[in-house]
Amino acid sequence: MSDGQIRIVSRDDLERGRWSVFFRFFLAIPHLLVVGAWGLAVLFMAVINWFAILFTRRPVPGNMTVHYLRYLTQVDAYLNLAAQPFPGFGGGGSPYAVDLEFPVPQEQNRWKTAFRLVLAIPAVLLGTAFGAAGVQAGGGSARVSLGLIAGAAFLGWFASLVRGRMPDGLRDLIIYGVGYSVQVAAYLLLLTDRYPNSDPLDPDYGAPARTDHPVLITSSDDLRRSRLTVFFRLLLWLPHLVWLILWGIVTMFAVVANWFVTLFAGLPAEGLHRFTARYLRYWTHTNAFLYLVSNPFPGFGGREGSYPVDLEIAPPARQNRWKTGFRVVLVVPALIIGGALANVLSLVAVFGWFTGVFIGRMPPGLRNLGVFALRYQAQVAAYFWLLTDQYPHSGPTLELRDEAAAAPQAA
Amino acid sequence: MLAAGWFLAAGELWDTSVPADLARPTLDESDYFTATQYDEAHDYQAFLRITDLLGILAGLAALAFFALKGASFARESAAGRIGTGMLLGMLALGCAWLAQLPFGLAAHWWERRHDVVAQDQDYVDFLINDFLSVGGEFLFVSLGLLIVMTLAGIWRRFWWFAAAPALLIVMLAFAFVSPYLIPGLDPLRNERVAADARALASAEGVSDAPVQVQRVRELTSAPNAGVTGIGPSEKVIVWDTLLGQFERPEIRVVLAHEFGHLGRQHVWKLVAWTALLALPIAFAVWLATRRHGGLSEPAAVPIAVFVVAALLFLVSPLDHAFTQRLETEADWIALEETRDPDAATRLFQRFSAIALAEPRPPGWADLLLDDHPTVMERIEMAEAWRVLRGSTD
Repeated sequence: MSDGQIRIVSRDDLERGRWSVFFRFFLAIPHLLVVGAWGLAVLFMAVINWFAILFTRRPVPGNMTVHYLRYLTQVDAYLNLAAQPFPGFGGGGSPYAVDLEFPVPQEQNRWKTAFRLVLAIPAVLLGTAFGAAGVQAGGGSARVSLGLIAGAAFLGWFASLVRGRMPDGLRDLIIYGVGYSVQVAAYLLLLTDRYPNSDPLDPDYGAPARTDHPVLITSSDDLRRSRLTVFFRLLLWLPHLVWLILWGIVTMFAVVANWFVTLFAGLPAEGLHRFTARYLRYWTHTNAFLYLVSNPFPGFGGREGSYPVDLEIAPPARQNRWKTGFRVVLVVPALIIGGALANVLSLVAVFGWFTGVFIGRMPPGLRNLGVFALRYQAQVAAYFWLLTDQYPHSGPTLELRDEAAAAPQAA
Repeated sequence: MLAAGWFLAAGELWDTSVPADLARPTLDESDYFTATQYDEAHDYQAFLRITDLLGILAGLAALAFFALKGASFARESAAGRIGTGMLLGMLALGCAWLAQLPFGLAAHWWERRHDVVAQDQDYVDFLINDFLSVGGEFLFVSLGLLIVMTLAGIWRRFWWFAAAPALLIVMLAFAFVSPYLIPGLDPLRNERVAADARALASAEGVSDAPVQVQRVRELTSAPNAGVTGIGPSEKVIVWDTLLGQFERPEIRVVLAHEFGHLGRQHVWKLVAWTALLALPIAFAVWLATRRHGGLSEPAAVPIAVFVVAALLFLVSPLDHAFTQRLETEADWIALEETRDPDAATRLFQRFSAIALAEPRPPGWADLLLDDHPTVMERIEMAEAWRVLRGSTD
């Protein structure tokens, strides 16, 4: 790899041993002790490297930090159920089911090194939203929510115990989160001066991307941002908020009516489905605008194809009556992931606001992360509002279908 | 005929119950204020007048610039005709806010320096609050543009005629809901003041209107009161800073003044007056935008916003004269109800001392910036009442 980026690679087959899953945390304790102790040494090494890079533009020779990060990744993946085998101690040796690819060491920029701790703040903040817990404060109150990785692992634990297999969406979400966290650690530990890439399309998830879901997102955003509209983005969204509330009240009644129709007929009413789908599309357009995932001011109609970040929603199809009857309960796990992604989306908006105002562009990694979060939340809403009985796919791989579609053209 | 009807309606609204032949004496402010008080209030207000005026001019300059260049922002919209118009209207106001911001900050610094604004209201608080307050303006301009652009799309030549009554309905709706949007309201707990309020409200025939206390002590030391709402939503709001700093007879004058507003339907009058002004302004907008495709086209919105703002500035002396008449009438009613010109005089003296209101500001400032009579004019009104009615009770 020539761009200096560390990349996470997965060769996991999703199979899980139930006993190993049940005792996963206890099994990981020896590794956690080693990670902690080794981490102190690596931290000390980072201080030495800071001086070395400032003077010579290169860290001192040796692979201790590389081995540590590999080991950290393996332990993190094991602990959070993104991988099955018990990892070896040391981070060296043969590749693990979830592992890292390192770039060829390069000379590092002295300025970026000198101010590394300051420069890392946005990445660390985003990393904490991926991590064990996220904290949201505002309006005089604060709430703590599960981070992306912890939320996915928590749900994956139950799923793996029951099925003996990790859901691919949750596994991919954990891999993405671990991959980003490791990039942040590598940046802080001065292994690279390449800023952590938050693009969810970047990790190698291994298996071919899933493309089958009745609710998919498309993005033709060009990353350009108008500084003035970015500056006033929150306030420009207010008319949409009013319309969202008014339209939402009517949609709520439509969803309730559709619940009865779907429960008795096994199929949603086409008119109600269309009405709700249109509202969901409008909701996605306005959120893409609010969170700076897209640039233009959206229209008020939720018309398909009218906005760069859009939803493809399949027509009504037969739905399982049991899933319909207990939809309110079944949606709870998806809401947990959705809540963690809402925290992430808020950070995307905050960082996007600064980059939008100052450079008039949105970083592609942040934009893609925003697209992924919006897609997942749209799928959660679609599931809850009976547009489909297919469960939301929590992995970022659905967006890879655009890449796959673009690849032959590029070739 | 339309013009005759307009003047007739304006004349009706202009009329007040203050005796037309009331002879107001010209009093010497040095009889009511010490030289130090006068100078302090003068210095304080002089700075604020300059920042206010410069802020208005800067805002107008920004709107003029946006009228020239703003149409290009239409490319930042994926909304249709009206949605794009909303975006341009909001951006125009946003640019005006940005241009006015330095003067707002300077005024905030000055108010903090004179302890009129609480010291813990730092600049970040000011910026956040000021920024969020623009949100209300954005909503208002969006709704206004939704109405007028829809009308302009239907009646390209005569939309301006239909716009005034449509905006009247919107203003009435805003006036109705506004009391429910005011934060930090408590019931009036002081029994004696509440008893005064009940008696005064009954005398003015507005017994249904509640009096509520707004918590502002942490934000400012300035005293204030006002009326808000229409019909079932109308109420009198008194700041806690007023209750804490003034004597009961003075508070009675304030309450009688506010009930006077309600009793004489001043909120309705104000809405009607604004609708009346909206008619010629809408006509001017039609004239100014017709060469740019009319207001049904989003590209005309920046011009329309500038024309509205410029005309509002130009008619502000007339507008202020109207509101000053309403305030004068409320003062007169307060004197009639309380029959206590001494309390009224003390109220205005103390108000000037606490809020650093200049007793007699320059005429141009009174015309351009003030919607209330000057402190000395109000004291002179109290004296005029004393002369007319003979004595105090």
